[in-house]
Amino acid sequence: MKDPTQNSKLKTQNSVLIEHSDSGSILSPLKALQFLARKPVTVPLEPRPAAANYRGFHLNDNEKCIGCSSCQKVCDNAAITMVKVPHLPEDPVNGIRNLRPAIDYGRCCWCALCVDICPTSAISLSREYVHICTQEEIDSYFILPDETGIHGEFYGQGWQKSVDSDLLDLERQPMAEVEPAARIDNFDEIVNGYTDQQALIEASRCVQCGMCHDACPTHMDAPEYIRAIWQGKPEEAVRWIYQSNPFSHVCGRVCTHRCEDACSIGRRGQPVSIRWLKRYAMDSVDHQRVKEIAAEGKVDYLSGRRIAVIGAGPAGLTAAYDLVRKGHEVSVFEARSHAGGMPRYGIPEYRLPYEILDRDIDVITSLGVKIQTNTRVGNDIGMDQLQADFDAVVLAIGLHLGRSTRIPGAEHKQVSKAVDLLRNITDGEKFKLPKQAVVIGGGNVAMDIARSIARLQKQRFGEVKVTVTALEDKAHFLADPVEIKECSEEGIEIFDARGPQECIVEKGQLKGLRTWKVRSIFDEQGRFAPAYDESDELVHEGDMIIEAIGQMSDVSILGEQLTEELEWNRGRIQVDDNGHTSVDWLWAAGDCVKGPDVVHAVADGHRVAASIERWLSGRQK
Amino acid sequence: MTEGHSSGYERLQSKKSLAEILEIAVEFERTARDFYTDLIPKVSKQIRYLVEELAEEEQHHFNLFNELKSRPDIEQYIHAMVDTPASDQRFSDAIQLPDLGEKPDDQAVLQFALGREHAAMEQYRSLAESTDEGPIKALFLFLANEETLHKNQLEKLYYETIHSGGV
Repeated sequence: MKDPTQNSKLKTQNSVLIEHSDSGSILSPLKALQFLARKPVTVPLEPRPAAANYRGFHLNDNEKCIGCSSCQKVCDNAAITMVKVPHLPEDPVNGIRNLRPAIDYGRCCWCALCVDICPTSAISLSREYVHICTQEEIDSYFILPDETGIHGEFYGQGWQKSVDSDLLDLERQPMAEVEPAARIDNFDEIVNGYTDQQALIEASRCVQCGMCHDACPTHMDAPEYIRAIWQGKPEEAVRWIYQSNPFSHVCGRVCTHRCEDACSIGRRGQPVSIRWLKRYAMDSVDHQRVKEIAAEGKVDYLSGRRIAVIGAGPAGLTAAYDLVRKGHEVSVFEARSHAGGMPRYGIPEYRLPYEILDRDIDVITSLGVKIQTNTRVGNDIGMDQLQADFDAVVLAIGLHLGRSTRIPGAEHKQVSKAVDLLRNITDGEKFKLPKQAVVIGGGNVAMDIARSIARLQKQRFGEVKVTVTALEDKAHFLADPVEIKECSEEGIEIFDARGPQECIVEKGQLKGLRTWKVRSIFDEQGRFAPAYDESDELVHEGDMIIEAIGQMSDVSILGEQLTEELEWNRGRIQVDDNGHTSVDWLWAAGDCVKGPDVVHAVADGHRVAASIERWLSGRQK
Repeated sequence: MTEGHSSGYERLQSKKSLAEILEIAVEFERTARDFYTDLIPKVSKQIRYLVEELAEEEQHHFNLFNELKSRPDIEQYIHAMVDTPASDQRFSDAIQLPDLGEKPDDQAVLQFALGREHAAMEQYRSLAESTDEGPIKALFLFLANEETLHKNQLEKLYYETIHSGGV
């Protein structure tokens, strides 16, 4: 381009002078005639490179982009619309949406906040110096950018995210815990919880993308309750939490937090501590107020319908909570002395204090749900009686029976199942505490029983002697990594990749567990086919062996007739998408149909309650 | 028997004709099929799928081995004598069926099935190893592969059913 001052009297030797000679003469318009014969200056539409940090049009690396929509949320001009691209992968559990940002250049102000917030650094701006549209597409201002730029030709990257411009805080607020030495001789809760200040800072890390909502089995409104925490409104947060989860105290402590696995911040940094924020909100609001919030929206009439729920765990009580809010009379039958299901009888108090669990249960019973404890269906009341007395029955019996390895010696009286011992500890029932225990299993139950026995040993014997052996190597343990770390901190020895071969019994006394080294668990096709190195044999001494390899439901309560009447799906009761069994009046929910997980059980409870509600509304009373 | 100095009689005893071996193999599958079929009505409906699948699989093997026995390319070798391996007795014993009780559970059924598949897999693999290259060896390798595939499937099912995560 020509220098505009080149042929002008405006230019002096050292400076440029701007001469304002217009004196307002009536002849001034005639001066314009001097341009009449000049060649017009035109700027071509073709793109050309601009400066290295130029804020040109958007580039989006579709491989990096996860469709989280943080760019859309941050855009003050509402210039970004998320567009569904059907051929792209969609995997909500792993935090991937098949949405991509489309830019409306009639609204964009090139502030680049979308670039600075993008959790994956997929978006940047180009150096493409060009008009938004070509002559052929003169009215096109709405564009779905890709990695080449808006006209399909890459001109280099202009403005990109840098350390200085990154709007994300990649590090989470640390959670304070009781030190190992101070926690090993008691069952006090380990995790301290966030302070107000920590919760506010942690909440401020959230970009409100909602990936957590999609991944959560019960679709909790995490962005909303996190925003409420950030705004200093914990009651509002609790209100959002109760929209989808009546086991919020429990899930605030022991949820498997699928939400955090999907959190977009986790792509480059540590995901937002969504579980701990939920706990913070629940702990911040007075229990009486929580009950009032939970009661909001409950109908003020009785429907005249009666529903029986078998099992007072998360699935059964969530279904009961939903149904009682609809005006139905709900009776829950619980075989044990206390309600709570697996969270009470399978999770030690140092992870989930009973008093905390009781708060969730109290909210549910305060709405009118009646729980009959010490009432075992099949013994104290039959399924046929429930069918006769109630409009619908929900089976939510959990997985309370432990599996055995059935290796030689496994029938010895000092070989126990983890679920039985955990239940004994909860109920305060006495059992012979081992001086040296060997646990078989690499899941959370194995860690729970190992750590519980360690605490009891420390109290009684003053030392911890617990060994955990697992088929899997540590990289493939099924237990939460935090559990494994804390186990080691508490002096529990973990032997990974060990296959149990025999419970050694000499003269009637249990001496220990013989294991072989596991060379591999799975074959090339990923199928279970453990291969052992028989030359690498170990004997783990112990006067008790605890099996924590798997669990199953006690379906004997159904009786032979109903068992035959029901359809089964590979060992589990067959249900449709709504938890309805093949028997008209019976639904099933929770661990007994979906496997062990608290938040899945809550989701199941909601699903079943909604299905029963629809079913009831289509029937005559 | 003293290792490395077997008598002529013992050597004779340690050989079987291919016809005999295939006959035992077919019998092995038949008894298993009948065992599982008889078990179907006895087990709880909850685990009936497992026993039904085992019966189907054994029926499939029974048909397959019978077909093999009558194939013209196999028939010409049917009288060939084959060295029987150390696993032979164990394999023959596996034809005898144990009493799993009135109402065996899924773990008992799976452990029994795994034991049988393992014995069969070992038997055919050993037979293949002690046979010279040729169609008979190929046949044993095929049979070993069939049993291995089934054993692998059962092991996966065992893990999924019994070791449900320990969580």
